Amino acid sequence: MKLQPKPKLESGRCIQPDLRRLTLWKRFKKQGYFQAFVLTGMFFLLIFNYTPMLGIIMAFKNYTIADGIAGIFTSDWIGLKHFSEFINDYRFGEIVRNTLVLSFLKIIFTFPAPIIFAIMLNEVRYSVLKRFFQTASYLPHFISWVVVLGLASTFFSVNNGLVNEALVSLNIIKEPLPLLFDPDYFWGMAVGTAIWKEMGWWTIIFLAAIAGISPTLYEAAEIDGAGRLARIWYVTLPSMMGTIVVVLILTIGSMLGGGLVGSNFEQAFLFGNNVNNATSEIVQTYAFKVGLAQGRFAYAAAIDLIQAVISVILIFSSNYIAKKLSGRGLF
Amino acid sequence: MARRMTTEDWIVSSVNYALLAVITLITLYPFYYLIIVSFNSGQDTLLGGIYFWPRDFTLENYQAFFSDSKWVKAFGISVLRTVVGGAAGVFFTCLVAYGLSYKDLLFKKLYFVLVIIAMYFSGGLIPYYVLLRELHLINTFWVYVIPSLLNIFFLLIAVSFFREIPKELHESAKIDGANDLSIFFRIIIPVSMPLIATMGLFIGVGQWNSWLDSAYFVQSENLRTLTYRMMEIINQSNISQEAAAFGRGSSSVTSFSIQVTAMVIAVAPIMCVYPFLQKYFVKGMMLGSVKE
Repeated sequence: MKLQPKPKLESGRCIQPDLRRLTLWKRFKKQGYFQAFVLTGMFFLLIFNYTPMLGIIMAFKNYTIADGIAGIFTSDWIGLKHFSEFINDYRFGEIVRNTLVLSFLKIIFTFPAPIIFAIMLNEVRYSVLKRFFQTASYLPHFISWVVVLGLASTFFSVNNGLVNEALVSLNIIKEPLPLLFDPDYFWGMAVGTAIWKEMGWWTIIFLAAIAGISPTLYEAAEIDGAGRLARIWYVTLPSMMGTIVVVLILTIGSMLGGGLVGSNFEQAFLFGNNVNNATSEIVQTYAFKVGLAQGRFAYAAAIDLIQAVISVILIFSSNYIAKKLSGRGLF
Repeated sequence: MARRMTTEDWIVSSVNYALLAVITLITLYPFYYLIIVSFNSGQDTLLGGIYFWPRDFTLENYQAFFSDSKWVKAFGISVLRTVVGGAAGVFFTCLVAYGLSYKDLLFKKLYFVLVIIAMYFSGGLIPYYVLLRELHLINTFWVYVIPSLLNIFFLLIAVSFFREIPKELHESAKIDGANDLSIFFRIIIPVSMPLIATMGLFIGVGQWNSWLDSAYFVQSENLRTLTYRMMEIINQSNISQEAAAFGRGSSSVTSFSIQVTAMVIAVAPIMCVYPFLQKYFVKGMMLGSVKE
């Protein structure tokens, strides 16, 4: 980091150290208000972001909550005991599987949805209708996951749930399905509600990409005899590729947390229950329950750290690929 | 451009419109259904068969909601945290952003590195909880406000927004004798109203929808938020699977109808600002988006 502009070579004059410090202090004082605002912000980050980051060392320590925050640093080191305990936990395999399956299913199904929806919207000729469809589509983005849970428990309930009622009356199924409780349905519910809630929102970014496509491309394609579907396939989609690749890479970087569509934690926590636990328990919810409900803070921090390390690797590698491919990364 | 519709055009258009109509119906109908059920008598709802309008219209659910101190308190806490948390968050984030937007700021690079690291990495929930406990924020109202004072995403957006403000505004105020602090209040804030509206909306909606902090950082029954109470009642009715009569025996209100009413009340503020401000929502999305 450069604090002072380098002394000019041709001047040949050496600046006295005291004088330099003085000018630095003078410059600092001159921007006193700005520095004061920024330093308040940095103080905030130090407390609320950097202190917890340091606190992660409790994962390697024999720490209990009674020791307070200072105890994190003074308690005894126990190495990887918490980690080996988690790996030998009888639920370890199941929890890791659930985390990975949920993350992959969400990428596979929720990532293409906004792309397809954006193309569909682009094919609407009447701008009023198009705006109506679009405005309606991202309304669910702004409601709480708790409300989504409430809606799901209303519509998918075994008693009087409209979805079960409709499926039974159409003779598709004989008995109402326990969609909210059976472990077999949890992943489907998680993916479905994520699409319902976030598809419209991510459409915005793809529609912007479509808006940037030059109309002359469509005209040329039309003269060459391309129909509607051919124009979508040969003009719209290839022109969106840049945006698609960048968003995909960012999604992969954050996939363990749930990608761009709704956090895995919130979904697994709210839609998970004792009955569907075999598929709904993921690393984060498990760490959360072990930590806050059972009070085993250091053990929970260790579990959290495993996922955090994998996520950091994913962020860096996907960022690296994004930079290679598009010359533009997150950082 | 007038053009002849080909057969392919017809087919593509009609399939497209049909699918879009279905998607929009699936998106909007659940909200509509909540509203009609919240205006329908609770006992009557249990018989099923309500699809298009209330069968037995009543305001009893809303009366029950607003006469139950548990719900009213939760509603009040949610409103309060949205207003206080939203306003404080916008103000503090703008203030720090104003400092960071200064062109010749000393240590600027260091500050930005600190911000970016804090944006992508976190210590996780457990050390965070230990910190909040140490700061005595657990089980107070301020746990909703103070930890979320600085929104890093909007901090970066505000910095680039403030940088776009013409320097001449700043300079002429300086000549008139204003210092950097009064420039912030008298010039920067007034000209940044579109940004502040966007931030206020997103941060406010985030506050209104938040449930995790109420569930785990607060034990006092007086500090529970609306979303927490909703989660509680949904889980209860999911477990018991039977709609117990709610409150006084003669009432037609059921725990299901009160749950639906609470959901309507949780969604209503968002629905109300939505049509007016959705252009800001979209702008906010595009502000932070990846640009080609």
